[in-house]
Amino acid sequence: MNQLSWARLLAALCVALLIAGCGSKGGTEQKGGATVESRDIGEQQRATDEQRAADAKRAEEERRRQEAEARRLAEEKRKADEAALRAAEQPVVKPLPSATVGEKALSDAATQLKDASGPLSKRSVYYDFDMYNIREEFQPIVEAHAKFLLEHKDVKVRVEGNCDERGSREYNLALGQRRADSIKRAMTLLGVPAKQIETVSFGAEKPKAPGHDEEAWAENRRSDIVYIGIDSPQ
Amino acid sequence: MTTRAAAQLTIEIVGGGANQIPITLVPFGMEDKQPQRLSEIIAADLNRSGRFKLQEPGSVRPFPTEPAEVNYRYWKNRGSQTLVIGRLAERNDGRLDVRFRLLDSAKESQLLGFSYTIAPAQLRAIAHKIADIIYEKLTGEPGVFSTRIAYVARNPDRFELQVSDADGLNSQFILAHREPIISPAWSPDGTRIAYVSFEQRKSIVFLHNLIDGGRRILANYEGMNSAPAWAPDGERLALALSKDGLTQIYQMRADGSNLVRLTFSSAIDTEPNFSPDGRSILFMSDRGGNPQIYRMSANGASVERMTFDGTYNVTPRYSPDGKSFAYVQRAQGRYTLSVMDFATRQALALTDNQFDSSPTFSPNGRMLLYASIVKGRGILAAVSSDGRIKQKITSAALDVREPAWGPLVGNR
Repeated sequence: MNQLSWARLLAALCVALLIAGCGSKGGTEQKGGATVESRDIGEQQRATDEQRAADAKRAEEERRRQEAEARRLAEEKRKADEAALRAAEQPVVKPLPSATVGEKALSDAATQLKDASGPLSKRSVYYDFDMYNIREEFQPIVEAHAKFLLEHKDVKVRVEGNCDERGSREYNLALGQRRADSIKRAMTLLGVPAKQIETVSFGAEKPKAPGHDEEAWAENRRSDIVYIGIDSPQ
Repeated sequence: MTTRAAAQLTIEIVGGGANQIPITLVPFGMEDKQPQRLSEIIAADLNRSGRFKLQEPGSVRPFPTEPAEVNYRYWKNRGSQTLVIGRLAERNDGRLDVRFRLLDSAKESQLLGFSYTIAPAQLRAIAHKIADIIYEKLTGEPGVFSTRIAYVARNPDRFELQVSDADGLNSQFILAHREPIISPAWSPDGTRIAYVSFEQRKSIVFLHNLIDGGRRILANYEGMNSAPAWAPDGERLALALSKDGLTQIYQMRADGSNLVRLTFSSAIDTEPNFSPDGRSILFMSDRGGNPQIYRMSANGASVERMTFDGTYNVTPRYSPDGKSFAYVQRAQGRYTLSVMDFATRQALALTDNQFDSSPTFSPNGRMLLYASIVKGRGILAAVSSDGRIKQKITSAALDVREPAWGPLVGNR
């Protein structure tokens, strides 16, 4: 409470004391009519009590309503903040055209893709230094995603190629493209229409592991299979 | 202002050259009235080149500012062969008169002298200009102190494409974005920079005008768009695109028109770099099973392999005289800079660090600026083309990388 408010409160208290003073003086003068006075006061008191109870109930209801509203607003803000955060991470957000991915197909696809124990839970393929061929151990992953794409003609993926930080940035950018394109080629050889797969290279520019050792480099020599509209908004 | 200050580069000279030319910068008359001392900026430029041995002026007072005031016997006794004297004067219109003379104390004569009228804000620019003139007179090569450099600074929340003076000061960013920026390339006239930005979550080549700040997309084809390189005429660029499958080299006009494919390999071809006469292009290709450097004519004919030593030779850059090229070589797990002479095909190792990349020649061919990683942090460094002079360049940014040395411009 600021100084001005305190001053106002003090002024209000002084006025109240003055009024109280007048009242007690009046009471002393009207001693004779005490009975009538007291009955009236009793009735007034009952009415006031009833009024107060009703007011209190209304106030309580209002308080609960306001609390619920505040909770709702807070939840809305939290959701908006989360959405803004997600939007900041993915600066270009295009709404998913309903014609591209039907709601039923999407929910069906999303369920299968989000099954942590399912064959589609693995979305990354790793490479040896300066190589772009899909190692044997990663063939089943590529095949599982190809099979899924064949069964879900409305679903699209983006294959993102990455490299470790060493060497030429430009060669790494081209190598990342070749890595992503080699997965696309493997999938199209398995019958997936090319239009269901787009590719992009981030070269060495967006390392997932921040370190400068073999462990980080091995993690960063990687292609990610990203489901558009499910893993990523665009 | 904080952004600018944080982005400044600090240059530290690690090694000196042989046969340094002794020179004394005598404090200029009235220079104390300016925010920076003119003679100190000139001295710092000459010192940083590694080609001069700076000598103190000693006890002489007052400092001579005109030839008639010079006691040549004093300077000869101190072993000062060459002297720079000068003075500033404030004009009634608020501008400054600056004059300087380069003197030979053995011959007791003036080697050269110039005067300029400048706005006070041009103090650093005129100091670099004077350093260029002194450098050229004493070494026979053009000075590059008035040139600019571009580089990419990575900060916690964004990448910045910075342009600064060649001494690393006066830096300003021309583009900032949270997505990466790579491969800046100066137009031959120094008015435009082509670069690759990932701001649309894929690599796209942009052309940025430094005069009006305007920019436009040069190449946004399907797949990757990268590695812009200017032809010396400033009217064409070579670049690398993957729109037809594997990354190949193409050429276009500077307005983005007339796209022509130059290479037709079943491998990755990238990092084109035009020869100074515009007739040849060096590039990198893994067509032989691993990345090596090749040369072709500017129309894509007569491809010839240039490097055979080792299994990873990348990022070729022609020297300004066209007689050699710098490149990055991997050997024993280290990525270092070498320079190869076209006539002898002999390579000279220039650096012995762990992760060197992105070499860029100074316009006089004397120095190479490059990126390196020290203790997990990206820095810039420089080395003379004979490997003798070394500089380490640091910044307050998390990382600095992707240097590109701008051309010689102005009324030279």
